[in-house]
Amino acid sequence: MRKPGSNPLLPRFAVVDEVVSETKDTFSVNLFPEDGSTFSYRPGQFNMVGVPGLGEAPFSFSSLDTGENTFIHTIRKAGNVVGALAKLKKGAKVHFRGPYGDGWPLDKAQGKNVIVIAGGIGLAPLRPVVRHLIMNRSVFGKVFLLYGARTPADMLYKAELKSWAKDVDVLLSADELNGKGSLEVHQGLVTRLFDQIDISLSDSITFTCGPQIMMRFVAAGLILDGQNARDIYVSLERRMKCGIGHCGHCQIGAQYVCRHGPVFCLPDIERFADTLL
Amino acid sequence: MISDAFTLSRIDLLGWVDTLRAQFDIFGPVMKRRGQAVFERLNKAQDMALDYCSTMTSPRSLIYPPRQSLFTIDRKIGHYETLVPKRGKETIIFGIHPCDMHAITVLDRTFLGDFKDCYYRRLRDDTITVVLNCNQACDQGFCPSMETGPFLQIKDRFDLVLTAKCGDYLVEFGSQRGKDLSKRANNLRRASRKDFVEKKRVEMRARTTFIKSLDTNGLPELLMRNLDHPVYKRTADARCLGCTNCTMVCPTCYCYNVEDSTSFDLNTTTRSRHCDSCQELNFAKVHEGNFRSSRQARLRQFVTHKLATWIEQYGCFGCVGCGRCMTWCPTGIDLTEMAKEIQRDGRTEKTI
Repeated sequence: MRKPGSNPLLPRFAVVDEVVSETKDTFSVNLFPEDGSTFSYRPGQFNMVGVPGLGEAPFSFSSLDTGENTFIHTIRKAGNVVGALAKLKKGAKVHFRGPYGDGWPLDKAQGKNVIVIAGGIGLAPLRPVVRHLIMNRSVFGKVFLLYGARTPADMLYKAELKSWAKDVDVLLSADELNGKGSLEVHQGLVTRLFDQIDISLSDSITFTCGPQIMMRFVAAGLILDGQNARDIYVSLERRMKCGIGHCGHCQIGAQYVCRHGPVFCLPDIERFADTLL
Repeated sequence: MISDAFTLSRIDLLGWVDTLRAQFDIFGPVMKRRGQAVFERLNKAQDMALDYCSTMTSPRSLIYPPRQSLFTIDRKIGHYETLVPKRGKETIIFGIHPCDMHAITVLDRTFLGDFKDCYYRRLRDDTITVVLNCNQACDQGFCPSMETGPFLQIKDRFDLVLTAKCGDYLVEFGSQRGKDLSKRANNLRRASRKDFVEKKRVEMRARTTFIKSLDTNGLPELLMRNLDHPVYKRTADARCLGCTNCTMVCPTCYCYNVEDSTSFDLNTTTRSRHCDSCQELNFAKVHEGNFRSSRQARLRQFVTHKLATWIEQYGCFGCVGCGRCMTWCPTGIDLTEMAKEIQRDGRTEKTI
């Protein structure tokens, strides 16, 4: 256990329990702290995960904390750190620091309709949100999950998507319909699915994560359809070296994505320059 | 500020510094070629150039070194060891100008906030800061506008402050540690009312020597309303070389990058950090793209961070008015001129 007041940059070790291939370029790694210490986190927060010699990178949690001291990161293959993580086998050790950041404001969604919009790997940080919504289904109004990917084969958590559809409205879209799957997939961008949201947007809250361009059009579309911009929450990606608001890389105006984010209420972050690509 | 103040002659001041050298590592401004002063370890107090104008890099680097090892990892046994910076002796930095002292307290707000950086804290705690008030403006300085000079404006978070006034030095204290240190000086004379009157006069005279200024009233809001002002693109396209000099010499810049280096036998890895710059092309690059790929966006980041968003983050300006970014910019890009152009346009906007 880390002593209070000691070095926040010093990582702890985690042991790999399982590595699961999700799609051809993504995988999930299931970890638990080596020292058996308790580890709790909220949906939308992230860890700095690393490999000695290659450095560390931020990854959000794609699991819901159920008190079992395990956590999952779903990762797309890009960069040196991930290259090393992808080769890990059960029992291997990685180092990590966290949890960092502020997660999705699930308390604000209570009693409201919830629209979850994800693109590609952007479903990873939203998976614990969906699982939380399903576990506490009666607390929320109507729930939509809109998920877009390049092809049906590029979709994460395919088996889960099917089971989620029992409790929430799952709408899927893909740019190309070349892969075969058991789920109904619409061709086109995720914004094409907006027509199927049959609820009033004024009484709903949106959580979105995906490519920059997707979030830009999702936000514009929802606002045009009558949603209050303050009810739209986005999760942003930035270069991070410390995770604790010191290294400066993730700054957007006065906000540190690592400290104040990565989830932001849209107008709070849009007032600054260089927010979305 | 701890009341009580003393005066000390120049000879006794230098004698005091020499006495302290036995116990402390003392850094002070030493004159180099072309009239450029540098903070260096003092071999004798006489070497100090107490009338120096401005150094290229501020004494920040003695508390937040440009390159620093953080910890080592022994991969065989899975052991991590923090490499806390060790100093042989306690350190005194002598002759810090008020702008640079203010800059250190600005850095405190970053590194000693909710998350405490143990490396910074160690060096900060181990360093005794002796400030020297400025009797004369430096070429590009505008510290009166930023309320960081020419005389020290804060009452604590430093140890001692000296004011040179006809023939002797007024010595005041910011901490008990500073007060204890002064007991080692010879021929201290308790300061009188007259000494403080004279200090005020010297300060007033110093304030009249500044050429540069910046009106900070309403400036943060104005800059944030004008994020797309043409001055950024024009200055970036015509003059900014992207050399990062401005951020390297800025006494409040804190950004760092982290790097791992592994031994030849692959068994141990040392993680270290080094100063990074938002003016670097790849500073905000991720796999998906670069959030500040244009020079104009990077220049705007520098200006708006120092003069606007810093206030929201830390409750103070990120600029202390030392003028280094303009002095060391190869094309002389002037932060205050950019701000003033936006102010001029802001005023005409209102009258329309």
